[in-house]
Amino acid sequence: MQTFAVHPFEAPDNASDIRRDLRAFLAQHQPTEDPVKRANCWTEFDPEFSAALGSAGYLGMLWPKRYGGHERAPLERYIVLEELLAAGAPVGAHWIADRQTGPLLLRYGTEEQREQYLPGFAAGTMYACIGLSEPGSGSDLASVRASARRTDNGWVINGQKVWTTGAHISHAMLALVRSEEGSERQAGLSQFLIDLDLPGVTIRPIIDMFGTHHFNEVFFEDVLIPHGALVGTEGAGWKQATAELALERSGPERYLSSHALLAEMIDAAGSDAPPDLTATIGRLVSEMWTLRQMSMSVAAKLASGEDPSVEASIVKDLGNTFEQELPLAIQAVVDCDLADGSNQARLLATLLQVSPSFSLRGGTREILRGIIARGLGLR
Amino acid sequence: MADGLFAQLRRQAFAEAWPQLEEADFGLLLIPEDRDGFGGDWGDLAAVLRLVGKHALAAPLGEHVIAQALLFGAELEHSGFVALADGNGAPWGREASAFICQRDGKLALGTGSVTQSESPAGEPRDSVALDGNVTSLGYDADVKALIAFCRFCQTAGALDAALELAIEYTGQREQFGRPLSKFQSVQQSIALLAIEAAAVNCAAQGAAAALDRFGMGGEANFEIGAAKLRTNTAIKTGCALAHQVHGAIGFTQDYPLHELTRRMMGWRSEGGNDAYWANRIGQQTLQWGGAGLWHEMTRRTDPA
Repeated sequence: MQTFAVHPFEAPDNASDIRRDLRAFLAQHQPTEDPVKRANCWTEFDPEFSAALGSAGYLGMLWPKRYGGHERAPLERYIVLEELLAAGAPVGAHWIADRQTGPLLLRYGTEEQREQYLPGFAAGTMYACIGLSEPGSGSDLASVRASARRTDNGWVINGQKVWTTGAHISHAMLALVRSEEGSERQAGLSQFLIDLDLPGVTIRPIIDMFGTHHFNEVFFEDVLIPHGALVGTEGAGWKQATAELALERSGPERYLSSHALLAEMIDAAGSDAPPDLTATIGRLVSEMWTLRQMSMSVAAKLASGEDPSVEASIVKDLGNTFEQELPLAIQAVVDCDLADGSNQARLLATLLQVSPSFSLRGGTREILRGIIARGLGLR
Repeated sequence: MADGLFAQLRRQAFAEAWPQLEEADFGLLLIPEDRDGFGGDWGDLAAVLRLVGKHALAAPLGEHVIAQALLFGAELEHSGFVALADGNGAPWGREASAFICQRDGKLALGTGSVTQSESPAGEPRDSVALDGNVTSLGYDADVKALIAFCRFCQTAGALDAALELAIEYTGQREQFGRPLSKFQSVQQSIALLAIEAAAVNCAAQGAAAALDRFGMGGEANFEIGAAKLRTNTAIKTGCALAHQVHGAIGFTQDYPLHELTRRMMGWRSEGGNDAYWANRIGQQTLQWGGAGLWHEMTRRTDPA
């Protein structure tokens, strides 16, 4: 058996042109005043940058033009994503909408929903967040209890979502909600696109251990949303959310989001690096190179219309391990005073502290390995 | 075709297996069609060598194919098995009628006397003292790297085979009233084994693609080194996991797991161990610099 179907990544002919143009764009538009923002860059919210990126045609790349998209090819988009991440560009504000909310609307949404949201997503001026986890429902997502009750005027939403990255800057949340009273587990769930400005929505920050505000609690108290806010089929929320998660797990951010630290460390090592630092760099680069091969294979499989869910889980798990190992391996061999204010020290200190979250967010390590085990027929 | 043939040749000694492999003309795999070869590329060779590893063949098929291609590159021919010799010796040297090594910055074809020894898996790992009868091939290549290519392609198949054994065994063996595979800790271990097998398979493909693009003269050494280094880690982790989920039975002579794992344990040291490639990849990366690393990695996979 071969667990991981290796799909050759046929880079498009214009690959080097895409990189050259995007690198030129970044040289002009990527903020430079705080190098530390390049670490863990896909959680950096920069609405100005996202709007500039949207203007330049780098968002909604695969979407129909009539919704503000650019009808480009999947592998062209992949090249754009990996260039943005390798550069440590602040892509956090638009990332979720571009990666999953938009595509989900294209797959399951109504024409009205597409017209209402996709142009803003593609312009990088409208942002979305993911409404999945609840205080009682983390890894066991099927146990969600937030409810939607149908009335003549629309759906009434009650409940709470938690760990909602970017809710405080988002316009809408795509939420998984129990729409059939008394239903259990995966049955009776639906997805709704909830406008976060509506009365009854309260957003409270959750400050992470590093002192940053990405996460939020979002409370819904009798929030009335239009009937047209239902996305896809009533009761098919679990299947739709599963499709959404596959999109969430299959990109290069799973191994490239800390690249700024690796690049910085290589430059700081210079031409006179001691043997153990040279060897550490060699090990890290070989791991990163391998992850790129694997990530490209996932992208190629997705582009061919197949479902890479086991492969995506493998790459995410390995990527998480690599990104957690990166600051630790550097700290082991580089005698770096973490307080010296250098770029390397600040990047290192940042990534050490945010790294526990890598194997938790978007599916914990234990869950991912369970998905892989199921894919192998063990469960 | 190769899968079926190799399944039959499994457990056969070299003397029985080799004539059948020769008859199938694998040596012509990389030779162009217009020169009466199969016109295959390094991706094809990677696929064949994966099967060699999967079926634990006792035969230096990869070295044979590569030696023929190296000779072809110099417009030379030599019938029979020609072994590759790097600083650590010549795998299967005792079966060879000639040897390819590096001398004075170029590949050389020579004959010589062989001192026999064995790998941990009991396969020939001989050393050769060349006599004066040496012909230069006129160009250079990295023999150690080419041996590395063979080993990580073989490892891709061997880890896949070990994974298959692990799944089958844990699905059948019951303790505490249920199959081992129903225990979450066992599932997680097997998932980790699958992850390592996946990494090696992808790395091998990436290295083969680099060889197809840059040729065998040494330009693909970055990818070969990265793949071998990653494979060395996978061998370390994967062999341990495979044995752990098998319990005591996997440690016996009778059970087929050791045919895979003992070979892999030796392969980690062949074609460059971790320190060797970590140093080379590290040096290359430091030369490229931080931004240069990304630029080079992407340039090397983008269309020219």
